[in-house]
Amino acid sequence: MRLPMFEYAEAKSAAEACGMLADAGPDAALIAGGTDLLVRMKRGLERPARVVSIRRLRGGLPAVARDGARLALHPLATMAELAADPLLEHACGNVAAGARAVGSPLVRNLATLGGNLASARPCADTAPPLLSWDARVRLQSASGEHSVPLDDFFTGPGASALRRDELLTAVEIELPAGSSGSAFLKLGQRAALEIAIASAAVRLTLDRPGGTILAARVALGSVAPVPLRARAAEDLLLGRVPNEDLIREAGEAAAREARPIDDLRASAAYRREMVAVLVRRALTAALERAGGGR
Amino acid sequence: MKRDFQVLGGRAPRVDAGDKVTGQALYAADLKRPGMLFGALAHSPVAHARIVGVNADRARSLPGVKAVLLGADVPQVRFGVSPARYDETVLALDRVRYAGDEVAAVAAVDPDTALAAAGLVEVEYEELPAVLDASAALLPGAPQIHDMYPGNICAEVHQEFGDVAQARAQAEVVRRDVFTSKMQSGAFLEPQCALAEFDHAGRLTLWSATQTPHYVQRTLAMVLGLPEHRVRVVMPRVGGGFGPKASASSMEIATCLLARATGKPVKTLFSREQVFLHGRGRHQFRHEMETGIRRDGTLVFLEHRAILDGGAFASFGIATVYYAGSLLAGPYRLPNMKYDGWRVVTNKPACGAQRGHGAVHARALFEQQLDLLAEEIGMDPFELRLKNVMQAGDVTCNELNMSSLGMRECLEAVRSDCGWDEKRRQGRRPGRGIGMACGFFVSGAGYPIYRSRTPHCTVRVRLDENGGGVQVLSGAAEIGQGSDTMLATITAEALGIPLDHVTVRSGDTDLALDLGAYSSRTTLMTGSAAKEAAESVLRQIQEALARATGEPAGDFSFVRGLLHLRGLPHCVEAIRAEFQKERRGYSGLPAEGPLTFREASRFAFLERGLITGAGQYRPPPLGGGFKGAAVGTSPAYGCSAQVAEVEVDLETGQVKVLRITGAHDCGQAVNRTQVEGQMHGSMSMGLGEALTEQVLFDARGRILNPNFSDYKIPTALDAPELRALIVDSHEPNGPFGAKEVGEGGIMPTIPAVLNAIRDATGAVIDELPATPERVLAAIRKLGRHGPAR
Repeated sequence: MRLPMFEYAEAKSAAEACGMLADAGPDAALIAGGTDLLVRMKRGLERPARVVSIRRLRGGLPAVARDGARLALHPLATMAELAADPLLEHACGNVAAGARAVGSPLVRNLATLGGNLASARPCADTAPPLLSWDARVRLQSASGEHSVPLDDFFTGPGASALRRDELLTAVEIELPAGSSGSAFLKLGQRAALEIAIASAAVRLTLDRPGGTILAARVALGSVAPVPLRARAAEDLLLGRVPNEDLIREAGEAAAREARPIDDLRASAAYRREMVAVLVRRALTAALERAGGGR
Repeated sequence: MKRDFQVLGGRAPRVDAGDKVTGQALYAADLKRPGMLFGALAHSPVAHARIVGVNADRARSLPGVKAVLLGADVPQVRFGVSPARYDETVLALDRVRYAGDEVAAVAAVDPDTALAAAGLVEVEYEELPAVLDASAALLPGAPQIHDMYPGNICAEVHQEFGDVAQARAQAEVVRRDVFTSKMQSGAFLEPQCALAEFDHAGRLTLWSATQTPHYVQRTLAMVLGLPEHRVRVVMPRVGGGFGPKASASSMEIATCLLARATGKPVKTLFSREQVFLHGRGRHQFRHEMETGIRRDGTLVFLEHRAILDGGAFASFGIATVYYAGSLLAGPYRLPNMKYDGWRVVTNKPACGAQRGHGAVHARALFEQQLDLLAEEIGMDPFELRLKNVMQAGDVTCNELNMSSLGMRECLEAVRSDCGWDEKRRQGRRPGRGIGMACGFFVSGAGYPIYRSRTPHCTVRVRLDENGGGVQVLSGAAEIGQGSDTMLATITAEALGIPLDHVTVRSGDTDLALDLGAYSSRTTLMTGSAAKEAAESVLRQIQEALARATGEPAGDFSFVRGLLHLRGLPHCVEAIRAEFQKERRGYSGLPAEGPLTFREASRFAFLERGLITGAGQYRPPPLGGGFKGAAVGTSPAYGCSAQVAEVEVDLETGQVKVLRITGAHDCGQAVNRTQVEGQMHGSMSMGLGEALTEQVLFDARGRILNPNFSDYKIPTALDAPELRALIVDSHEPNGPFGAKEVGEGGIMPTIPAVLNAIRDATGAVIDELPATPERVLAAIRKLGRHGPAR
């Protein structure tokens, strides 16, 4: 449980970081906050020969910037910054809630948004909320930059579209028109320092307060190999005027879509059941925030 | 019996607080010696195997490696906790018995090299079928783990007090319940660490994060073949123990052997994973109890069967299996009790003593049964307990003597403080619950672990020759529980001086004998010895003053460090003048008013020479004549009542404990803040054991969660409001009436929480910990079968 020896290099620009990654080959790892990487290195789960730090690449950029309907989240923003960001809280409250659910205050002071996504854990607390806003991530390498929907980003536990020589340089959300409300709920055994047994993030966009659902997103954590969109639940909600029955049915639909496993934290059966509860509760809260009355 | 104390019963800061909060205090891992090497252990990755071959060539040839010890290189002396069950060796020779068993020890110039070398020791294993739970271990034909435990039974107990068969006929309401739990860790902050050094005369010093320097000294002497006086064990500051650090470990012994092999000091520090592998925490229990009462609530009988999964070695297990039965005989009058207990070995890390020892999970079931029985006869849970509580002077059916017992006072204190009657009157609200429970615990084991009529501790109190200073020299183990502050307080109180006159040196076998920090013994036992030693010092000062003045010695006493004289202070001027003459050039010397302790104690030294007082404590003969009667005996018993208030999410099974109100009878609080601290600690630890803590294994006996991410102790955000009420009963066998608070406070927490969950949901929780999934399953079961009433 001691940190093994490794070479450490600090990049001064994104381009330099990409170059360092390309040079170092498969033995390199990126470090920002290090809250995931260092623990994995201590446990011997990863043994990079070279660690490339990108922690200085933020410059003076804000954690969250808004340009019209476009919201840009800096990948080097810490969870603590996102948790307390008024712009984010106002525009996409469930993303701030996801950031607040990560680890403990000490972890949140170091852990970054980019790290939470790039580690590609099914339990990453910011992933379901960002999925619920159709977020896109920008990936940069020495050969150029491209943008990927977050929904296509996660490919398996710990696996993503991010190539070894690529850097995640931006997280972007196009805020929808209409009246939106969101929620994130995480189920665990204790109030902090917890890996979710299951989590659910939802976003409802109504054509007007009290109106029909223009867009519904239901995203789940810790119940599949990846942070998962529950599309059948979303389809069920689309175009409907929400009520209690519909919300319950959506929760049940999401539970059917979940693909949980048994592990030391909970059984698959319990997780599946909890998806129905969490999605129903999250939808109820999101609907209220979107101005949907009953 | 109330008397006015000068220092005792106050809220003085701990004597070690400043050093600990500033980082000045040194723990074992902080220690360095010239030329020091670093030790590391190689552990078996498999749960049960024959060692076919070992090759340490690669490890030995790694640059920086100074020694590699294998099973064949170390003394083949068996050790353990109970001499009748010595079943451990320093390193496995031909067989490993759990995934974690130590197979090699390495010393190298730095920790990384030592760890790397440990990883290079090649062991060829021929795997044997492993036994991973107690019921499998007891099956006919099960693989046998130790030759000395046929049928894998390490210890068994069969006791009957009164006549259970006859009592059963008289009982009007009887319940039978089964309750199981999982292995739990002490989760102390500081991992075990040991630093061993031989001096050039061949004398060994081991600095170790232990709770029991004396037992470690004896084990080292036995295994290394040295007389005890050539082995010194010293505790630096220790960051918690809770029981798992209360015995000598392979790591400590291997570290000494590495020091002997290399001629250099060697330090070995456990990782958290190794803390889990070494284990010695809470056993995994299966309790089955049948309890009968009369319709008026009178407790009639208890028939109890327990199976303890103890892991690969005996450790404290014999005591554990006895405690699991014997400590149910109080704090209620229980005339008939039958107990059958089996402590079984399995291929998992060894379990041992942990706060509350074997009694905690037994208590958790028994107190749930009392609630269920109370409900069946329509009686309030408090009333049922009040109807049966023992009081001072009562003796249990298994001959435990309640020399003081404020059980009724504890019950009354929590009942009124938490507003129980009002809250119960409001009736049940789904998802909100309130529950209560009691418990009691020994205030020091009545007998040492090895058979002996030895005193359990000795203490010397020594006056500084210059006057004013008082040094307490003790072997007591300060593990964070506050025993140094307790010793300073009792000594100051006995002498009539302020706390700042006293310094305490402890935790060193060179200073004094002390059995250590276990069984909540230190305040009563070492406190009694300190009081005796301080009183002897006071007598010597009194006699010096009496000779000089011609007044009777009994006329002299100190109040807050000032001489309190009956009659006229004739001789004061002469003593003061001499004191001042010796200190020409000093400032701030006492000039007027009563003689100070500083002046008087200097005078006493000048008159009589070195003044030291000796104290020791040996319990009176305790307990009955039956087999195992010794376990559970104590010079005194502390007791507790607690009320837990919870909120249960009926759809997810999540439990939030909102408040725990606890009352504890500690006889007489030595330091009220520390008593409350111990109560808060017990309640927090109980909360974790009740709701979240469990050591989990895979199908091959490897621990799945040997870290604090996945072994879940409650966080600050999970902590409920904790209310600690102190009940002072005055214990005649304790120093100034004091007795334990270290462990008794954990007894009621688990059942109070479980009773509150049942109040909130109607569901009986029959397995610990009460994770959301288990609670939800219990609620679901209720839906299918109706309330368990």
